[in-house]
Amino acid sequence: MVTTIIEVVITGLLMGGLYALIAVGLSLQYGVARILNISHGEFIMLGGLTTWSLYTALGVNPLLSLAICGPLAFALGFVIHRTLFKRLLDTAASPGVFESNSMLAAFGLMFIIQNVALIAWGSEIRGYSYLTTPVHFLGTLFGANRLLTFGMALLIGLVFYLFLNLTRTGKAIRAAAQDPTTAGLMGVNINHMLALCFGLGAAMAGVGGVLISMCYPVHGVMGLEYTVIAIIVVVLGGLGSIPGSFMGGFILGLVGSIVTFLEPGLALVAYYVIFILLLLIRPTGLLGR
Amino acid sequence: MAAGGWTRREFLRGMVVTGAGLALGACAPKATPKPAKDKIVVGMSRPLSGPLAVVGDSAFRPVYETFVKEVNDAGGIHVEEYGKKLPIELLVYDDKSDVGTMTRLTEKLILEDKVDFLWPACGTSFIFAQAPLANKYGYVLITAEGGATTIKDMLPSLPYVFVTLSFSDWYQLPVLAQLLSKKGAKTAYIAYIADLHGIEYSGVAGIEFPKVGIEIIGLKSIPPDMKDLSPIIREAKAANPDVFCCFAYPDQVMPATALSMELDFNPKAWVGGPCVNFGFYQTTFGPAAEGVIGFTSFNPKQSDAARALAEKLYTGKPKEIQDYWGHPLYWAGLEVWKQAIEKAGSLDQAKIRDIIATERFQTVLGETWFEGGLLSKDCHTGEIGQWIKGEYEVIGPEKWATAEMVYPKPPWPKG
Repeated sequence: MVTTIIEVVITGLLMGGLYALIAVGLSLQYGVARILNISHGEFIMLGGLTTWSLYTALGVNPLLSLAICGPLAFALGFVIHRTLFKRLLDTAASPGVFESNSMLAAFGLMFIIQNVALIAWGSEIRGYSYLTTPVHFLGTLFGANRLLTFGMALLIGLVFYLFLNLTRTGKAIRAAAQDPTTAGLMGVNINHMLALCFGLGAAMAGVGGVLISMCYPVHGVMGLEYTVIAIIVVVLGGLGSIPGSFMGGFILGLVGSIVTFLEPGLALVAYYVIFILLLLIRPTGLLGR
Repeated sequence: MAAGGWTRREFLRGMVVTGAGLALGACAPKATPKPAKDKIVVGMSRPLSGPLAVVGDSAFRPVYETFVKEVNDAGGIHVEEYGKKLPIELLVYDDKSDVGTMTRLTEKLILEDKVDFLWPACGTSFIFAQAPLANKYGYVLITAEGGATTIKDMLPSLPYVFVTLSFSDWYQLPVLAQLLSKKGAKTAYIAYIADLHGIEYSGVAGIEFPKVGIEIIGLKSIPPDMKDLSPIIREAKAANPDVFCCFAYPDQVMPATALSMELDFNPKAWVGGPCVNFGFYQTTFGPAAEGVIGFTSFNPKQSDAARALAEKLYTGKPKEIQDYWGHPLYWAGLEVWKQAIEKAGSLDQAKIRDIIATERFQTVLGETWFEGGLLSKDCHTGEIGQWIKGEYEVIGPEKWATAEMVYPKPPWPKG
């Protein structure tokens, strides 16, 4: 019994680590840059497929892929914000108009990235075996790859948290999240910060994709399911609250694991029930203002 | 009324003239001479995106693309009625792996595009939905990917529908049950995807396994969107069965395999599909694929025709695209279709249907015929396959086996 509980809880935390990382990325884009990035999952997919290609074609260790896919995704996100979303921001009459326009643009981006990936990689499911060895842990067994994934997700989350709280740029990002106009008046280069946030969000997604590909097969149309999860987590944690998203990821992972243990068919239902209850009871999310 | 617009009188006059013209046109006798035809248009609604795209891409697609190229390189299919060879032109729409979209696209192909022939959609629940449509409009439908346990009983009322793929009780699971019981398997744990495919396979296993003395000690449905299958694999491991079956699609069979390795769950027989039959299963898992069991229908070693087909489909292409279960059956279905058109000498669906339903054909499988809308199981050249030394061998039925079943399967490789 105790073993079962430990299993369920740890399984949930392992999944939660991934959710948290992905959600922090979306939180940066939605909470700070005000872009509900529907194509968030596509960056995850790109990270996963790139890792697969690097691993199977060149034998590149997936951990090394973290260092490759992260910066690549960041650059892609940064450029996309600087070109596409910057222009939408400049031409939007109000923040509300920008939010809806940018969401529509993100939808388009999703289709473009997805179809480019389908052309480049085809629609086959891509998977590889990496560290699929059992590890004894607290009296139960876990895949070494899952534990590694979890560790990396935590580490990346921690590094990012420190960056946000200890560096000047981090301070600027937090200021931009709180009040972009005032932050701009105080000398924060808002456009630069927003592009930076969008790029960082994309990088988180790309890195998340690398980690996901270590445990799960990846394919061209996997993105949207992760986007949906990320949106639920971001709302759960509170819009614009990075620690909230981090916590939210773990909560969702845990709930998913517990419900799946009881009845697998209800996991997704449970996510939406949480979502609806939250909107009814605490619309600002756990740590939202 | 703006200058230059019509007056009411002009408008009414126009209406009357148009109406009379339409009425006349409707009464006019139908044009009798056959319009000139220079191609056979074949319409398909396929999952080019979405979760089933993997199956669509690796199963029927390599077959029909090769087939169309081969036929067109030879000038096309000779149709007596037109006194010449007509090449095939494909019209393919993306149904995004959605059954509803597929049914709309199928009707569009028939009613709007007026295609000459329909080739099948992908997936058990898809052909279940498409078959009545094709039948309603009198279009011959030779299905490809998808089982037919549920639709089987309806086939007598669907004379235009012909099922090529082997499936659960036709004749895979009875053979699997026999193989396993002969090796002494006593217990089985079954995980199945909660859609028509999973329901059919788990249901038939529930009948066939106990018949040969294999007790089903666990049965769990997997929702199609479930990602982390570890609770299921853990539960299966705790049940400690001789046989583990995962009746699901590749996006779940692949992680189920990886998780079995991670959680050191190594039952004596690990059965999964559709997925294990695809070349990409072996290229992904390499030595870990050894001993894993899936469904099949042929092996190139079985005959010259089988070897020739394998060369045609796979030479110079990555191993990933191999599918020893579906490819030969789909290819045979297309051969039957082409020969039936040639025999009919016409593109008339009813004539072609009668020929497919009653006559016998020479295909890659040898003599091939349909019985009550199903490809006769006497035409199957294998049911159960297993990865042995990197090759996907036929292990049952014995008559067609190219290798002896490995039981218990070897342990998962370390590292």
